Amino acid sequence: MLIQFLLVLAVLTILFVFVRSSNAVYVQASKRVGLVLFAVANVYAVMRPDDLSAIAKLVGVGRGTDLVLYALVVAFMAGMFSFYQRFRVVDRRYTELARTVALREAELVNAERGLQPAPAVVVVAAEHGQIDHAETARP
Amino acid sequence: MTENGHSANGRVNGDVWVVIPVFNEAQVLQSVVESALTVFPNVVCVDDGSRDGSVEAVLRTRAHLVRHPVNLGQGAALQTGLSYARAQPGAEYFVTFDADGQHRLEDAQKMLDMARSPDVDLVLGTRFAEHAATVPLAKRLILRTAVLLSPAGRKLRLTDAHNGLRVLTRPVVEDLHITMNGMAHASEIVSYLGRSSWRVREVPVSIRYTDYSRSKGQSLLNGVNILFDLSVRHRGG
Repeated sequence: MLIQFLLVLAVLTILFVFVRSSNAVYVQASKRVGLVLFAVANVYAVMRPDDLSAIAKLVGVGRGTDLVLYALVVAFMAGMFSFYQRFRVVDRRYTELARTVALREAELVNAERGLQPAPAVVVVAAEHGQIDHAETARP
Repeated sequence: MTENGHSANGRVNGDVWVVIPVFNEAQVLQSVVESALTVFPNVVCVDDGSRDGSVEAVLRTRAHLVRHPVNLGQGAALQTGLSYARAQPGAEYFVTFDADGQHRLEDAQKMLDMARSPDVDLVLGTRFAEHAATVPLAKRLILRTAVLLSPAGRKLRLTDAHNGLRVLTRPVVEDLHITMNGMAHASEIVSYLGRSSWRVREVPVSIRYTDYSRSKGQSLLNGVNILFDLSVRHRGG
């Protein structure tokens, strides 16, 4: 049946776009075009249910509602992937923010503890809890 | 007095930074850090939001401490530690080391000696060259498969992509940016190496599979999560 072919094709396209595609602008644009088309198709399906049934018969699905259900499954999958990617971008920014805070605080805390990045000369001194700053200046 | 018997080539390790990502390791952390400090004077522990006194354990030692304000994952902790160490004056070599005490300092020193030779940019520890028998069988199979599945791992002829013991030279650390916050960072590093032209060496190391490190080790099911994270790219917002 034609519908089986179309559904498998749609799923494979989605997987390809999200896993393999490397063109950010292209992916973003196609997501938005897809969203608009989906909305328009939904309005059309509500306004002209008979047309929908005709299309459904054409591709080999019994009823128009079934066709809508299939389309919904595919759209849901695309939406999930899209959200996952979006989440990863946000997560990355959040990590950078947390890292910056951590590094800034660490500089203060470790300076307060009297720690100096140091050549091995300091190992001996450090064991006694003392660091000779003159020796740490340069290896 | 700076010689300690571990540095085979007679050098001191003042240009070396050991990066230890820490998440709830209070039980063993202090002894791991203190023994690391006997060989490497510069140690930075990155606490990834521990709630079990790991922070206090680090504060009792002379190791530097960086604290993530929230839990971000081991990959993120590693990157934070490398960023911190990189900013310290005189840092040239970076050793990544696990907090659970499974790595041996002798191995780290051996890898460092190799990294100091001019034609090596990065040294990875491998569990499979000489001491394969010490690795539990199930783990061995999974780790082997992980290497075979990764094109970069095959290209570099790596035998072990997921060993936490690594020695990186400064140019590598300046170029590398770990974005996989969770456990997928090991695979991320390998695929980064596959794309780059860094000269990579593997050195056989042995792992102490103690009951403690076994209990902390990542579940093999985690491999599924890692594969998923790696395959779905975060592009196109």
